This record gives sequence, C-alpha cells and structure tokens, in this order.
Amino acid sequence: MITVENLSIHYGNLAAVRDVSLDIPEGKITAVVGPSGCGKSSFLASLNRLTDLIPGAKVAGEIRLNGKSDIVNDPGLDLLELRRTVGMVFQKPNPFPLSIRKNFELPLLEHGISKREIPGRIESTLREVGLWDEISDRLDESAENLSGGQQQRLCIARALALRPKVILFDEPCSALDPLASGVVEDHIAALRGKVTVVIVTHNLAQARRIADEVALFWVRDGAGCVIETGPANTIFDRPKDPDAALYFSGARG
Amino acid sequence: MIGGAARLSRNDRLLGAAGGFAALVVLVGFGAIVFDLFQTGTASLSIPFLVGKVENGGRAGGIGPVLISTGMILLVCLAVALPLGTGCAIWLSEFASKIRFARAITAGIDLLASVPSIVFGLFGMVFFCRTLGLGFSITSGGLTLACMILPIVIRTTLIGLSGAPSNLRPGAAALGLSRVSTIRHLLLPVAIPGVVVGTTLGISRALAETAALIFTSGYATRWPEGFDDSGRAISVHIYDLAMNVPGGAANAAASALVLLLALLFINYLATLLADRWLLKRIAPTSE
Repeated sequence: MITVENLSIHYGNLAAVRDVSLDIPEGKITAVVGPSGCGKSSFLASLNRLTDLIPGAKVAGEIRLNGKSDIVNDPGLDLLELRRTVGMVFQKPNPFPLSIRKNFELPLLEHGISKREIPGRIESTLREVGLWDEISDRLDESAENLSGGQQQRLCIARALALRPKVILFDEPCSALDPLASGVVEDHIAALRGKVTVVIVTHNLAQARRIADEVALFWVRDGAGCVIETGPANTIFDRPKDPDAALYFSGARG
Repeated sequence: MIGGAARLSRNDRLLGAAGGFAALVVLVGFGAIVFDLFQTGTASLSIPFLVGKVENGGRAGGIGPVLISTGMILLVCLAVALPLGTGCAIWLSEFASKIRFARAITAGIDLLASVPSIVFGLFGMVFFCRTLGLGFSITSGGLTLACMILPIVIRTTLIGLSGAPSNLRPGAAALGLSRVSTIRHLLLPVAIPGVVVGTTLGISRALAETAALIFTSGYATRWPEGFDDSGRAISVHIYDLAMNVPGGAANAAASALVLLLALLFINYLATLLADRWLLKRIAPTSE
C-alpha cells in the first residue's frame, strides 16, 4: 500500500501538483486519469523519485510504501533500492540500445543478482509478458530491432525481472498501434494480485477495462490536484464532482 | 533530387552552379597543394629518409629522430588530454547540471579553444619549462599540446554525450542503475564516436602545431634520449627547413608529405575504430 499525503510538486515557481493525498491499495491496479497538464506524470515520477532528474523540481509532502520510511523526505533513503522496488514503464518504449540479453543483465547485475540466476529470470519474466516464444532465439540481437509492442513488453519484463513491489506505468500504450496496445494492456491486467500497479492513462476506456481504483486529476487554481477517487465500478457512473461528471461523460477534458 | 523531374527555377540553378563552383575552387586548391608536395617531395621520399638521422641541418639524411620525437610528444599529449578531457566532459554533462559554476567552466573551455597557439607556446614555456622545471623537453611540449587540444576533446565528448537518446537516463535511473553504471555501460558507448572524432581532430591539430612547440619541446634534431630530452616535432622541422635552411625545400616537401599521409591514415583509422565500436555494443557481454 502506498500512502500519499499532502504531496506538492513545483518546477521552479510553477506548481505542477498541489496538496494531493491518495491511498494506493496493494496488489490492485490504480488508474490515474485526467486531462493533459494536470500533473499526472509528475505525480507518478515522484513515487520513485524520478523527479530528482528534473532540474528545478521540488517535492513536498509524504509518500510511504507499506508504512515504511518516507520516500520524499528520508535523507537515508537508498534511491537505487527504491527504484528496484518501485519499477517504471514509460510512454515510449525505452530498451537500451544493446542486446535483449544485456537489457536484463545490466540492471540485474547492478542489483547483485548472480550470473547463474540471470538466464532463469530472463526466461520467466519474458514468459510473463508472452515474449519468450517470440524472441527466445534472438536474445543476442539488438533490442531495438523488436517491434514497438514487443519493445514495450520487453520493458515491462525488464522491470519485472527486478521483482518490484510496485510498477508505475506512464501511458504505456499511447505510443503503440491498437493491436499492440491491446496485448500490452492484457499483460498489465495480468499483473493484478502480483504487484501494485499505478497507471497513468488518457484512455478512459482502458481505465474502465483494467482499473480497480481510479483517481481523477484536474487543474484547480493553476495546479494539478485530485478531484475524485473511488473504485472503478462506481466512480464512472456516480461521480460527485461536477467536472468529473462532465469528464467521464466525454463532455469535457 | 529536390523537385523531381520538374524544371528547376532560375534561382535554384544559380544556387547549384554557385555551390558547384565553390566546391571546385576548394578541390583545386587542395589538389594544387598535394600536387606541389608530390612534385617537390617524392624524389627525397624513401625508407632511409623515414628512418635516417637528420644531417646537414635537414638538407641531407632523413627524419627518423623527428618522427620519434613527434610520436613521443603526441603520446604525452594524448595520455594527459584524453582522460582529462573525457573526465571533464562527463562531469560537466552528468554531474554539474545543478552547479552554476559549471557554466563558467564551459564558457572558459570555449574561450580556450580560440586562443592562438603562440600564446599556448609562451604559457608552456613559462609554466612547464620554467615553473615546473621541465625544461625544453618532449614532456613540456606534450603537456602544452594537451592544454591546446583539451577544449576540442571536451567539446566533442560533450556533443557525443548530448547525442544520447533523451529517454536513456530516466530509463536507467528507473531501473535503479547507479550513475557510474549508466555512464560506463550506456552513455560512454554513445559518446565514443564523439571522443574518437575529438581525438582525431586533436591529433591533427597537435601534429600540425609549430608555434606551441618551438618554445617548449625545442628543435634538437638528435635522437631523443627520453621524455626529458628536447626533440623536434615534424611541423617544426618543416617550418625550419622551409624558412631557415637554404636548399631544404625538397626535404621540407617530403616531410610535409609524410605528415599529410600520416593524418590521412589517422583519420581513416579513427573512422574504422568508431564503426567497430558501434558494432561491438550489440554483442553479448564478455565480462
């Protein structure tokens, strides 16, 4: 379970996210939806402290993973370990410009997985995303030769290989064609119960299909905030906020 | 072809003709230099010329000691400039983004690149030869050249690093890769072609350098006895033969020809190495 309390993110003087509090349940799929520019991706990046990479980004508030140390403020936090525990898959597939095998070896060796263990991990995670039968005979070829959908599944497998507790997805299907998008979505849905999934998506239909919980971000007073949260089976039909009602009905956003 | 089969407009034809003429002028100019060198120099060019000692002020004998001195100067220069230059570029690109001081350093590096070589020569003479007590020596010359090519190496490495795909760094960070691994396994391979280009440009500039070396490594024509010995670089030799030694024109041309061929070879080698490296990156780990 991830507990977010009073989270604010600033880029210089510009507030991207203000005062967001949210509980993300363990083992479930939580969809973060909302119009462009409402701070969804910034919010996601704060969960594994990838906000550190953005010059001028300042994060305030609290984020706790299973009640343990605060991701935002704890000075003794092991960032590399945090990012092993909280994996991330990006909008555009980003395999390293190396062989498929090296794409796994690099992070696995970094986190102290022995060389003997690696082939087994590669096979099991590639099977989990349905890639093993497609690419098992060309592990030493460049990962960049794979199709877009295969690359994205490779990135999911690469994150899974580190045995994370949480995986963050930042619009993982929006750069893919509809068929590949469907396959990737199915594999994300299959993660339910195994890891905690937080997925940012613009696609409300996708959120309806795979999410257990939904958080709707909106821009209020020039900064992103959460205006509606709830279980996926009720939030779309009975939103309390008037903007949320218009957004879910397709009239706004 | 732009515009396909359609007739080109008058302006387009004019631009094409002007461009072609400019290219021709450059080609003819370069051709004339090479032709002249071949004509005056080929007669003296031989194996004994390449390995023989300098005799009669360079009019007779060969350029053996000069080639050895040049190689040793280059060795010192690269041994210092390459690690220092790539290290500095990596720091500027990967670690210094939040430090305001880094901007001043980058500006300083660009300024350094435009300093005339004679100034480097004077600096080298004062600092390396006198202050550090290295005297007129191959080491002093090499270090002076290193200062001179440092901006080139840093700039090209920076360009190489900035050519890394923008999603590489966040991707690596999101997998919990340390900065050291990210640089070593992902960014440096991307930057290598840039480093190779920088090194080649640096070598070319170093080999062609006269002004910075006359005051630092000197112009002794004997076989160098070590890095602390004075030694004449090939461009200094050419300059001396052409300007100060009556009857030295033929050997000056032959030496220039050797320099030209060496530069062409180094350029070819650099391209080859860069291509090789790109291929190797895909192959499985050998560690």
